[in-house]
Order: sequence, then C-alpha cells, then structure tokens
Amino acid sequence: MSGPTSKYRDKEIVDALIRKIKQITNEIEDKVRIMHVCGTHEHDLVKAGLRSLLPKEIDLIAGPGCPVCVSSAQDVDEILWVADNHNVIITTFGDMMRVPGSKESLYQAQGRGVDVHIVYGVSDAIKLAEQNPEREVIFFSVGFETTSCVTAAEVIRTKQPNFSIYSSHKLVPPAMELLVQRDDLEFQGFLAPGHVSTIIGAQPYDFIAKDYGFPVSVAGFEPVDILLGIYSLLKQIKENNPHVSNDYKRYVKYEGNVAAVKALNEAYVVSDARWRGLGTWPNTGHEISEKYSHIDAKKKYNIPELNSIDLQGGCICDEILIGKSKPHQCKLFNKTCRPDYPIGACMVSHEGTCNVAATYEEIIWEE
Amino acid sequence: MCLAIPGLICEILSDKRVMVDITGVRREADTSLLEEPLEIGDYVLVHTGFIISKLDSEQAKEDLKLWDEILNP
Ligand code: SF4
Repeated sequence: MSGPTSKYRDKEIVDALIRKIKQITNEIEDKVRIMHVCGTHEHDLVKAGLRSLLPKEIDLIAGPGCPVCVSSAQDVDEILWVADNHNVIITTFGDMMRVPGSKESLYQAQGRGVDVHIVYGVSDAIKLAEQNPEREVIFFSVGFETTSCVTAAEVIRTKQPNFSIYSSHKLVPPAMELLVQRDDLEFQGFLAPGHVSTIIGAQPYDFIAKDYGFPVSVAGFEPVDILLGIYSLLKQIKENNPHVSNDYKRYVKYEGNVAAVKALNEAYVVSDARWRGLGTWPNTGHEISEKYSHIDAKKKYNIPELNSIDLQGGCICDEILIGKSKPHQCKLFNKTCRPDYPIGACMVSHEGTCNVAATYEEIIWEE
Repeated sequence: MCLAIPGLICEILSDKRVMVDITGVRREADTSLLEEPLEIGDYVLVHTGFIISKLDSEQAKEDLKLWDEILNP
C-alpha cells in the first residue's frame, strides 16, 4: 500500500509543516492545548514521535477516545453475570478480554471456566452461533460509530435465533460537547477522530464550532494528516475563526457515509452511557432499538442491579481519560500497572493512553 | 478499536462481497455499508471485515495542491 499513503509520511513535508507550526505558535504568543478524542490518534502520533517535534507551547492531550478504556466495569460485570447464570458463550474483541470488571476481567473469568471467545467482529460471533445451535451466543459489542455501524449492519440482517448483542456503544460528538462544557478542563481545540468521521461525516461537529466557538479539525492518521490538523486548529485560533475544518477529505465527506448512518439510526436509539470512572453521561450511548429488541442481550436476560467499581487500587483512569492527568502522574504507572499486567483500563488496549505511553516510553512534558 | 486499515480492491466476489489486498494479504470484505459502487483498483478503508469508506482519488490529488499552498504561499 505504498501508493496513496507514502506521501503522507514524507519527511520533507513533515519538516516543512513543523516549521509552519512553530511560526504560527510564535504568533499566537500563548500556550495552546489541543485535545484529540481517538485512541488511534494517540497511538499513531506517539509512534511517529510527533509530540517531541512540536513546539513546547503546544500540549496535545488525549481525550476519551479509546472505546475499550472508557467501557465501564459494570458492563463487564453484567456480561459475567449472564455467563454465570445462563448457558451462554460470550464473544468479544480481543482488546476487551483484560478490561477490569469489579472483581475480574473476562480473561480471568475464562480461567475459571467461563466460555469466552475472541472474535474479529460481529459476523464471526454470528457464525459461532450458527455452529452451536444448542447454545446461546452473546456478542459484547463496544466501540464508537466506526464499530457500531458494523454491528448495526448485522443487527438489521441477522435472523440467528440463538444470538444476541450486549451494546456498550458510545457516541463521539455528544461526548465532545460534555468535554467543552466542563469548567475543570482547559483546552482550545479538538482534533476530531478520522475514522469515526468517515461514518458520521464532518457535519455533526458543526454545533461545537457554532455554539461554543470552538475550533475543530477532522484529521487522518499519517504524520502529515495529524500535523495538518494541528496547523489548521492553530490557524483558527490565531485568526479567531472557529469552524470545522475537514482535513481528512480523501476519506471523509461532509455528510459522512450515508448507508452507514442509516444503519446506525435504524439499529439503535440514543441512550445514556456509563464511561469508566466518569459516571453516566447523558445521550452518549447507543442501545438496540425496539424493533430489534429480540437480539438485545440486556432485554433477553434479566440482569439485576450490580454495584460496580470502575477504579481499583489507586488507578486514575478517570483523569487520564479526559486529559486531566498524564500516565506518569499515576503512581502505579509502569510499576504495578504495565501492558503485560494492566490494573486500569487505559493500560489494556494498544490504543489506551497509559499503554501507548508505556509501550513507546513516551516523554511527556511536565506542566 | 476504530482502526480502519487501507486496502486495495482486487476482486469483486458478489453483490456484497469483495476481495481486498491489505499490505499483500488478501481478505474478504463486506460492502453492505457503502452506497458507492466499487471497482477493482479502488483504495478503501476496512474495519472489522466491512468496507467503511472509499478513497476519493481526486481529493488525494487536491491534497498535494493544498500542501503546496500552505508550504509555499
Ligand atoms: S497506569 Fe494503570 S492504574 Fe494508572 S491510570 Fe493508567 S491504567 Fe490506571
């Protein structure tokens, strides 16, 4: 795949963009904090070493963009409750296996005999249900719009009777609005997630720019994409001209992927959602709509009220997830909490902020 | 999680299925979530077995012009 991607990694263009960014940062004469809301952004920008290339006046902070990290302990607890009380096979993405529940993760539960299978996606979970007609199969589905539209496609078309979905899906734009409204967070622009935006388009961010006067750039993932996004935000800040700049136009249309958005609207209804350590955020989730309630695991199984604990033993994932703290500020970071032995959810996925920092031993500036 | 991998369409298998070359590995992908027609040679983004977006090659050419404007004003 050298073809269309290689030029987005071109060293000369990267260097030239860094020079432009330095120039405009000097003109702004103030510190600028930019928040991204995408685990892939965090992973790819750290892997490319971009933070160390930026002027020190720019702080690029990670928001709650890793769907594995933000999934609540209660979701894990509820899935395990179903597994312990019904004859079911649990299926989910590999990344979800080690996400801590209140007492144990799916991986730990597997060790005591709970039937958990890792699948590549929802379609493989349905295949497993076809192969095991005498068992019930549940797909524990997490993810933002990028992933939830794929699950939506199967919600709409599957006729598999012994199959259901536990939805832990979350929505990006309403979560961004809640972040802008918080007065304990200070930042001046959003790098919006490129792959979520291939689905929903650039349009759903318009209100963030219009109603809150907040700059937004929809950015891709190659070094040039990320730097262009940052440059475009700095330009908006300098010119005091907040708007939504689509800087990933080769894959993102203003209106998004119409068929995928249609699937989302058909399969789900907007609901409140639990974000790890951050409580319930109104209208930031997707539950399966009434029309498809026969495959909604939450309706199929009468799950009792559980008292769940999101943060264990000093984990500060709640602060990491909104960019209030950085991984090295957690006293467990790279000591008792490591990628091979995660204590908090942000250390589990290779897109989690703590995992990325530990993996690439990133140097993160002190304030 | 929201990782979408770029690939090249190398075979149209049916109405809803295509073969995609992802860095040399061929994988089947579902096209149900895309309204635009696909042809052999199109670059696409694949997420958990589904094609979620097609590269706008005209726009990719525009990107080059845009960089030129930013970098050499
Ligand atoms: S280092 Fe581990 S325990 Fe600390 S915030 Fe990160 S995930 Fe939580």
